[in-house]
Amino acid sequence: MRSRELVSTALVVLCAVVGLSGCKTAPPPDRQSQLIAKGRDLFFNETFAGNGRTCGTCHPAENNFTIDPAFIATLPKDNPLFVAEFNPELKENFENPALMREFGLILENLDGFDDLKNKFVMRGVPHTLGLRTSVQSPGGPRTGWSGDGAPGDGSLRSFATGAVIQHFTKTLHRIPGVDFRLPTDEELDALEAFQLSLGRQQDLALPLRLKGTVPKRGQEIFLDNTLGKCNICHVNAGATANFPGRGSLGNANFNTGVEDLPDQPARLTGRRVPRDDGFRTPGDGTFNVPPLVEAADTGPFFHNNAIETIEGAVAFYDGEAFNNSPAGRALAKADPKDKGIELDGTQIVAIAAFLRVINVLENIRQSIELLETSRAVSSSTERARLLARAIRETDDSARVLRGGGLHAEAVAHLQEARRLADKAGRSAFLGRKYSEEAIREQKKARAFLVE
Amino acid sequence: MTIRRFVVALVGMSALLVGGPPAPSAQEMTEQFIPVGQSPGLSGKYTVIGKLQSVNAREQICSVASTAGTVNAKITERTKIWLDRSLLRQPNAKGTIADLKPGLMVEVKLEAHLRGAPSGPAEWIKVQVAASP
Repeated sequence: MRSRELVSTALVVLCAVVGLSGCKTAPPPDRQSQLIAKGRDLFFNETFAGNGRTCGTCHPAENNFTIDPAFIATLPKDNPLFVAEFNPELKENFENPALMREFGLILENLDGFDDLKNKFVMRGVPHTLGLRTSVQSPGGPRTGWSGDGAPGDGSLRSFATGAVIQHFTKTLHRIPGVDFRLPTDEELDALEAFQLSLGRQQDLALPLRLKGTVPKRGQEIFLDNTLGKCNICHVNAGATANFPGRGSLGNANFNTGVEDLPDQPARLTGRRVPRDDGFRTPGDGTFNVPPLVEAADTGPFFHNNAIETIEGAVAFYDGEAFNNSPAGRALAKADPKDKGIELDGTQIVAIAAFLRVINVLENIRQSIELLETSRAVSSSTERARLLARAIRETDDSARVLRGGGLHAEAVAHLQEARRLADKAGRSAFLGRKYSEEAIREQKKARAFLVE
Repeated sequence: MTIRRFVVALVGMSALLVGGPPAPSAQEMTEQFIPVGQSPGLSGKYTVIGKLQSVNAREQICSVASTAGTVNAKITERTKIWLDRSLLRQPNAKGTIADLKPGLMVEVKLEAHLRGAPSGPAEWIKVQVAASP
């Protein structure tokens, strides 16, 4: 009897020790971390006394801070994204539910609110990752698809104010203090800090020492200013341009002719989709350069979600719409042979393969960061949140590689990493150990992609 | 390529790429719904808030008395005038120069949004419509 008691006590002590070892005390959050945490809370929970939407409604963390038809299809009918379907005040001229559900398009009144029936554009939702690298230009900050998405001083900090007015309102009167409340200065500070904390904090330094024949060739074409010419407007696969002879243009705007594409999906429906004239009012036809590192898992592509696949998005630059556009013609003029972008099928696929691989490398970086942070936090809720995000990033990595028929060995390690992260989330005592093993698998996967 | 063609191409490219001097990239359309004094990053820093002193309809100039002194704002064909009716709990609306009446509280954003610029063309003017007593 006594020995049985001793064994029980020893087991309890052992469990307590193992359990406590998983509760490493986190250091107190500094001011910036507190601001980011406040911003996160506002981003996902604050409705600003409006129609029920939050920033996270269109920029959900579980879908790379953007929405697409596949994600939209998983949402319940009463999700505030669909407010135009159940709020009579917003039934007309607030959204186009059919185009939202089929193509992930959101309605914006960028040319004014005086003729809601006729003056609107339909745009996709850009992700909010890597914003620290993609907003600045010599002419000031550029936000949103056309670079002029924020009122006030046009900064990322001011963006939420415009978003509340456009998307959060209870009625189409848009009366501050009645249909919504505007964010306070403190809230704008916190929202900006949170958004700037998302994703990459710096640009890549290309070329990377990639493995894999096709992605490697894709990188060469991407960087070749006489062939792919991609690096001219997407330096280091980011969102800044460096035009020959003009130096860095920062985050620039170009008219690339996306609006001239034939057979645009939304227009094929026969529904009214007015031409989007881009930057300013009236528009000059230009749109803002998005970063490419995050592209492969955040489609559909372009401001109007015109193209579903990353291969299709690359192929756009070989087409007539681009090469006849002001940006396409400017590229041709800068070419010694007066040539625009001319790529063949294999070259298009190679560039896309490169974009897929750099996207996965970023997902792996994020997954490792999330797994490491999950090992340090004391709150079980926070740990579960971090692990869930790590799992989603890992799922994306596997999906992006599989979609391009790339690096099957890496996919196997990613699947194992996912299994271990899932186990870490379900284990009361061995979570940190499983997270560590998941990190090891992520690193093994990465080793198949890059030296 | 002749020198002339080169110059034309260079000028054309410059216009396409940078569009001349840096253009303000703020969104105008939602700005009209923001009440006087609440424009993020602008109000109190790059705008003038005060009472309208005078309006010269012929010269299209209005004078605003602010804490920093008197500012003369030129109203051009580009200037947007908005009526801030948030105190009435009514939707803000577009206005005209006829809505600019001495004594009204206004907020003016000059095109050259340099701190303390004493005068110049106005990008927008918000006129606060006071609630009835």
